[in-house]
Amino acid sequence: MAVFRRLANLFRRSRIDREIVDELQSHIDLRIDANLAAGMSQEEARRDALLRFGNPTATRERVASADAALAAESVWSDVRYGWRQLLKSPGFAITAVLTLTIGIGANTAMFSSMDAVVLHPLAVPQLDRVVTVDEEQDGGYHQVTLANYEDWRRQSRSFEALAAYSDANMSLTGAGDAVHVNVALTSANFFSVMRTQALIGRAFAESECQPGRDGEAVLSYGFWQRRFGGDPAVQGRKIVLDQRTYTVVGVLPKTMQYPSVDDLYLPLAPTPQQLADRGTRSYVAVGRLRDGITVQQAQAEMRNIAKRLAKAYPATNTGWSVHVESLLAGINGPYTPLYYRLIVGATLFVLLVVCANLANLQFARGIARRPEIAMRSALGASRWRIVRQLLTENILLALAGAVGGLGFGALYLHVMLTSMPPVVARYMAGWANTSLNGRVMAFSLLIALGAGVASGFAPALESLHVNLVEQLKFGSRATSGLGRTHRLRSILAVAQIALAVALVVGAALMAKGMNAMLHTADAYKPNKVLLFSVSLPTARYDTPQKQAAWYADSLEKLRALPGVTHAEVTTALPSSDSGWVRDCAIENRPVVPGKFQSALQLAVSDGYFAAMSIPIVAGRGFGQSDALGTQPAAIVSRRFVEQHFPGENPLGHRIRMGGQAGDHEPWLTIVGVAEDINYELWEETRHPAVYLDAAQMPPAWAMYAVRTYGDPLALAAPARKALAGLDPALPLDTVENWQTYMHEMLTGLMYAAGMLAFDALIALLLAAIGIFAVMANVVGERTREIGVRLAMGARKEDVLGMILRRASWLTGAGVCIGLLLAYGLAHGVANLLRGVRPDDPIVFTVVTVTIAVAALGSSWIPAHRASRIDPMEALRSE
Amino acid sequence: MAKTDLQGTLDLLVLKTLDQNGALHGYGIVLHIQGASNDMLRVEEGSLYPALHRMEQSGWISAEWAMTETNRRAKYYKLTTLGRRQLEIAQESFDQLVRGVRAVLRYA
Repeated sequence: MAVFRRLANLFRRSRIDREIVDELQSHIDLRIDANLAAGMSQEEARRDALLRFGNPTATRERVASADAALAAESVWSDVRYGWRQLLKSPGFAITAVLTLTIGIGANTAMFSSMDAVVLHPLAVPQLDRVVTVDEEQDGGYHQVTLANYEDWRRQSRSFEALAAYSDANMSLTGAGDAVHVNVALTSANFFSVMRTQALIGRAFAESECQPGRDGEAVLSYGFWQRRFGGDPAVQGRKIVLDQRTYTVVGVLPKTMQYPSVDDLYLPLAPTPQQLADRGTRSYVAVGRLRDGITVQQAQAEMRNIAKRLAKAYPATNTGWSVHVESLLAGINGPYTPLYYRLIVGATLFVLLVVCANLANLQFARGIARRPEIAMRSALGASRWRIVRQLLTENILLALAGAVGGLGFGALYLHVMLTSMPPVVARYMAGWANTSLNGRVMAFSLLIALGAGVASGFAPALESLHVNLVEQLKFGSRATSGLGRTHRLRSILAVAQIALAVALVVGAALMAKGMNAMLHTADAYKPNKVLLFSVSLPTARYDTPQKQAAWYADSLEKLRALPGVTHAEVTTALPSSDSGWVRDCAIENRPVVPGKFQSALQLAVSDGYFAAMSIPIVAGRGFGQSDALGTQPAAIVSRRFVEQHFPGENPLGHRIRMGGQAGDHEPWLTIVGVAEDINYELWEETRHPAVYLDAAQMPPAWAMYAVRTYGDPLALAAPARKALAGLDPALPLDTVENWQTYMHEMLTGLMYAAGMLAFDALIALLLAAIGIFAVMANVVGERTREIGVRLAMGARKEDVLGMILRRASWLTGAGVCIGLLLAYGLAHGVANLLRGVRPDDPIVFTVVTVTIAVAALGSSWIPAHRASRIDPMEALRSE
Repeated sequence: MAKTDLQGTLDLLVLKTLDQNGALHGYGIVLHIQGASNDMLRVEEGSLYPALHRMEQSGWISAEWAMTETNRRAKYYKLTTLGRRQLEIAQESFDQLVRGVRAVLRYA
């Protein structure tokens, strides 16, 4: 068939080519014969035949292009030709490849990171069918209760399997040093929802999820590597968690790090009492949708089920609905994907600037290549052929850039991976999987091709506009017909400036926002505070007396250390998005079912308010009189008073935390009102705060804040020693400076700001180069004109002014467009820019001025050179 | 639309020529078309050979080198069965085209 014939032809290329030549020649010969027979002379006959036939070379090429095999050959010859041409202009080639390397490489790195974290964080088959099911109240999503989960399982038809897990923190002994680990207690079908096969061993069976039979543990890959050194014989080893022995039965694969913070998985083995609990919302439900069911359908069904449950159990379920969301959508939280989109977008902008730059360079080069193009046209090359060859050259450059880009991208990724603090990286499920995989390479190739075509298209088309006769006569000195080229180059320069402006504004806004966030806690002088947290194991600290004693003793020891001004405990730090938001009931004020009041609850030690410089505006603070056994006291924030006791005196009123499930919580008497401070960092809602005294309600976990005169970290070792003296088996977690802690919380933002700044810098540099090139070009072309002007009496300043005016015009246009673009974009990402207005006038003004100066500065050199033109030289050089 | 129609028309003429003349070389096809149309149609020689080559690749015509009467080597083309079928299709579609154009021109 035709296809095979074409394929076969691939192997007989030269023979076919020769055949074609022969055939065409024979046609001409036959006509010559006919002409001779008709009486023409030899000369006439030949001339007539050739005229009638047309251009044999062109025809030969056309015949060849009808042949697929020879078409492939011609593409290859384009490539070879392009390669030779590039070798002839090494300066251009190297510059082009370098800028392309940076542009493509940065994009490759960013896409690779985005692919690993946002697009494919888990290697779970058909991840888009896995959903999380949350309980929803008032638009806020919460974890679920076991009883509700069980009902959902029984009543719902939308899920192939519905699993649940809860998080716990345990201390691991028996395998190296004692350490705290995050554990996920999962139901047996969790692994089938995820369709995960264990890398080593197995996951749990249904029978192991019963209380008493649940002694099996599955390790996560990361934990297996870190803690057991990747020992392949780990199966069967015994470990001790919270003083109970478990057997390791399996290890999960590297690509299944969900939930990403958890080191181990234990079976969820609820007692019948726990199964009936409809008030404790501390489980996460994940499910796999049945084939053919969409998220919306599942959502609708679950809403109905929730309504039924609310009717059946009004006390616990009124006002609660259900929210079904794709796991992928929720896995990284709301900000990470947004950041990534921002950065990838910005990096693509940089690539656009690179393309514009390259196009500009190609335009300039095109002018020098006019005689070559003219020659080829005259010889019969079709327009398409010429454009194809020029594009091939450009694609070659782009591919070279892509290869370099892989190297640059790998380096970039390496820097990104190593500079991310591991504490933060653990929250991003796919982070460890970042690599240059097949998808990334395909992406890299795609944008390289795109860049090559995009930056070469306009110059290639432009180069077709050659006046053949003029070119062949005058060589490359003909300067007519350049108006169009010039306009295009000006447009490109303007485009580069506009993009650079947008990027720089974005980077500046982000930097400003980041700075503002880093300093949100400045009022508390965080660089003078040492933080660490302690978790009291329930086995040894099983009574409130023991817990309270621990806190009292530890604080006493810490306060005695040299250089310490304050040592306090708290369960929530200001500006940290931590703290427990709980329902709150006020005595003698019945809560209407469906209406909610909640507050942020935290337990603090007596001196907390002094340590954080929080004034008490009414009543008193906590003191020695508040201890175990005395009336439970609470201090509320001003906002609380405004919300619940407007115009009244709240002191003496009683409140109870925990709402419905808080029946066993004590009634607290309000003894004081503290000034409002923010406990939120990213969260929008500012909750009112309710402070409990840690001496009365000792928490099982608390954060120690030790304020010092000098360097807080110098206090770390003495603090450890002091506390070890009280209880040597109690580890201190995350000992660090509060400033560092803030940095870690904002790592994502810092990353984004850093990348954006890098992109903006490159864009600015390229834009400056772009405008330099255009101006240099202008001067070069108008040398004679300037010479004439100077000869006619223009002053140097006039020439300077002329060039600079042109430059300002271009810069002005670029800056205006860029500012509009920046304004639009800034509003688009306003939710990522905290602490900063998206239309901040200072930033916009400063950036405008900076870029204007940069652009005009780079036009200075050509302008200066123009003013120094010797009129005699200029006029003579024709 | 125009371009393919013209190309289609050239194909049709070539196929018909070969159908009526057994085996012919390119020059012969040009002469035949010129003669049969009373000099009204002159084949663009630059487009003939690409078309011939294309038709050969598609299997509508087969080619063979042979000697002409004047002892020159030339490539002779012949119609294949596939080509004969293609000729019928092309003829039908050309008729349709002509009828359509005529109908539009006559439309009052």
